[in-house]
Amino acid sequence: MSSKLLGRRQVTMGATMGVATLATPLLVRAQEQPIKVGTIFPLSGPAGPNGQACTHAVQVAAEMINAKGGVLGRKIVLVSKDDESTPAVGVTRANEMANEKVAVVIEGWNSPVTLAMQPVLARADILDITAVSKADPILAGQANPFAVRINSSNGQDGSVIADILANRLNAKRIGFLSQNDAYGNGAQSVIEAELTKLGKPWEKVVTEQFPFKQTDFRVSLANVKQAKPDAVVAINSAESSGMPALIQQYRQAGIEGTLVGAVGTILPTVFRIAGEAMTGVVSADIYFPDLPPFDGIKENIEFVAAYKKAHNELPDKGAALGAAALEVWASAANTTKSLDRKTVAAAIRGKTVPGTILGNLTFAANGQAQHKDTVFKVVDGKTAKLEVLK
Amino acid sequence: MIKRHATSFALLLAGLAYFVPSVAGGAPAAYTACTTIAILAVMAYGADLVLSYLGEVSLGHTVFWAAGGYSAAILAVNYGWNGWATAGGAVVVSLVFACLLGLATLRTREFVFSLVTYAAAVVAMEIAFNWSYLGGSDGVVGIPPLDLPLLGWKFGGATNDELWPIAWLLLMATLLFIHRFRRSRLGTSALMVQMNPDLATALGVDARRVRLAVFVTSAPISALAGWLYAYQRAYVGTDMFETYFLVLMLTAIVIVGRRLLLGPLIGTALIIVQQNFFSIGGDGDKIVLGAVLAAILLLWPKGLVGFLDLLANRRRPAPQNED
Repeated sequence: MSSKLLGRRQVTMGATMGVATLATPLLVRAQEQPIKVGTIFPLSGPAGPNGQACTHAVQVAAEMINAKGGVLGRKIVLVSKDDESTPAVGVTRANEMANEKVAVVIEGWNSPVTLAMQPVLARADILDITAVSKADPILAGQANPFAVRINSSNGQDGSVIADILANRLNAKRIGFLSQNDAYGNGAQSVIEAELTKLGKPWEKVVTEQFPFKQTDFRVSLANVKQAKPDAVVAINSAESSGMPALIQQYRQAGIEGTLVGAVGTILPTVFRIAGEAMTGVVSADIYFPDLPPFDGIKENIEFVAAYKKAHNELPDKGAALGAAALEVWASAANTTKSLDRKTVAAAIRGKTVPGTILGNLTFAANGQAQHKDTVFKVVDGKTAKLEVLK
Repeated sequence: MIKRHATSFALLLAGLAYFVPSVAGGAPAAYTACTTIAILAVMAYGADLVLSYLGEVSLGHTVFWAAGGYSAAILAVNYGWNGWATAGGAVVVSLVFACLLGLATLRTREFVFSLVTYAAAVVAMEIAFNWSYLGGSDGVVGIPPLDLPLLGWKFGGATNDELWPIAWLLLMATLLFIHRFRRSRLGTSALMVQMNPDLATALGVDARRVRLAVFVTSAPISALAGWLYAYQRAYVGTDMFETYFLVLMLTAIVIVGRRLLLGPLIGTALIIVQQNFFSIGGDGDKIVLGAVLAAILLLWPKGLVGFLDLLANRRRPAPQNED
């Protein structure tokens, strides 16, 4: 019997082929496995309809991305959770996302909920893209050094509202109706700072604060009326309950000062409930599905058509932000050929992501998306007819 | 002999409880659920002391819970204190608040007691909302991982599997404390003051002193739960004062039955397991919780234990009339 020892090269080749043979099904399986994408929005409670619209929009965007080949050649599947607009519930849902091993979480309607979820997702090394929540500490980097936000920030919005108040309305006596949380208080303090920066004389004649879930503002509005303001800024992110109620009751109270809605708060849900009371409201926003420049963006036209087909209505700004968040992540993951949190975040922060429904979206180094605001006045609340103010 | 067996059995159960997350699969979800249940159960035990032994419904225990969370957050983030020091701070702050609130409510009973404690929680929340030292409406972010150095070793961590041993220890220490309290002079005096105030007075028990002592004793329990919760979440905000936690702690106590050592733990576990693993959506969960609570209070005011008693009585044969 003759025995022949195998050479090192043969052993190496054999081992390599063996490992390759054994590993191939695993690799193929891993590549074929869909990528899990998490969404955490309020699906119940005062912001439930808004959160549902965001979730629907991410689903529509996922189907569009899947139709074009997916991300890294893999399909996207959504795992959607309800944060109930409650930070403690949001934390639970964020932990569940970590357990589900999702590649990215798109979250955030309420700033306090986002602030509570950020550390949980950061510790689990999951990329966390904030779609809507506006509070400035979200991008401060303490809880999440790789934060990304699609919506405009309180800082950006503050200068727009201050410009409306001081330059367009020439308001000197200004009142505030502000949601008492990280979003509302932050937004008000930025508007005040921007008003002071503009250098025109102005006076804060009244401030009324209320919790997120409040729907009866009659006592607060009586105080507002007594203060005789030229303009009143309403900062309320409960666009399916509190904000329309506030606008209706504002009209019923017969307050003469112009009602100015904080940036991005005058959504279709507000028109649907408040109706005619909306007439005369002045505000600004960063997205209108059927107005320039968005009606000329190919990706937006496709998205609006797909959303309308699926849900029989136009997507609102919140929905667009949710969809854009997924597009931004998918584009960055495909560009970097990676799902790694830091790699993907680095391809977004401080960079321009092309081809989203919001056009080519540029991000500041801290992860904040840059937008151009459109200032408008509601000329007919019943038909939701807007006049764009140049 | 029986006592020795009971102690051994309790120790065995406590030891087995430690392995529940690993027996449940050892997945992060199991550690998350178990750690959260342990923390929230300890929170509920604070309120249980007042509800079960004084017979009063404290709507202000979120103040102590939040005091623990805020103490941990402020002392760790602003001053870099370790976990032992922040726990000490949480206990001291809660004791101060409890003394003030306890003295203020010394003469109040039932509805007025509940109303005053609720008002205290509202005032505390507004202060936290508007005081920048406490983070204002933004809360406190960037809480570091829990650090508990002991004899050259370091305990603690940031993830739920790292925090589970601490949560388990805190829960076991709380159970032992409640067990001892029930047999203590203060515990029996409190029950006597609740059940038969005239007898208590006749026996020389100072009812007001007992009420104050029980109230003050309960505060650090909820505060220590808030302390650990701050490290689990790495963020503390004014939501710690919200009704979510208040409803959770009161429901956890009454759902199983008052004055039961394991009542708040089982109640918390039932609620969290339903919310985490059998959720039917936010609105649905609230409807289920509300309906179950209403049904239990209406049908079996003693809690699920009352229901079990009813079943046991039905199975027991009716006494025979020998005449």
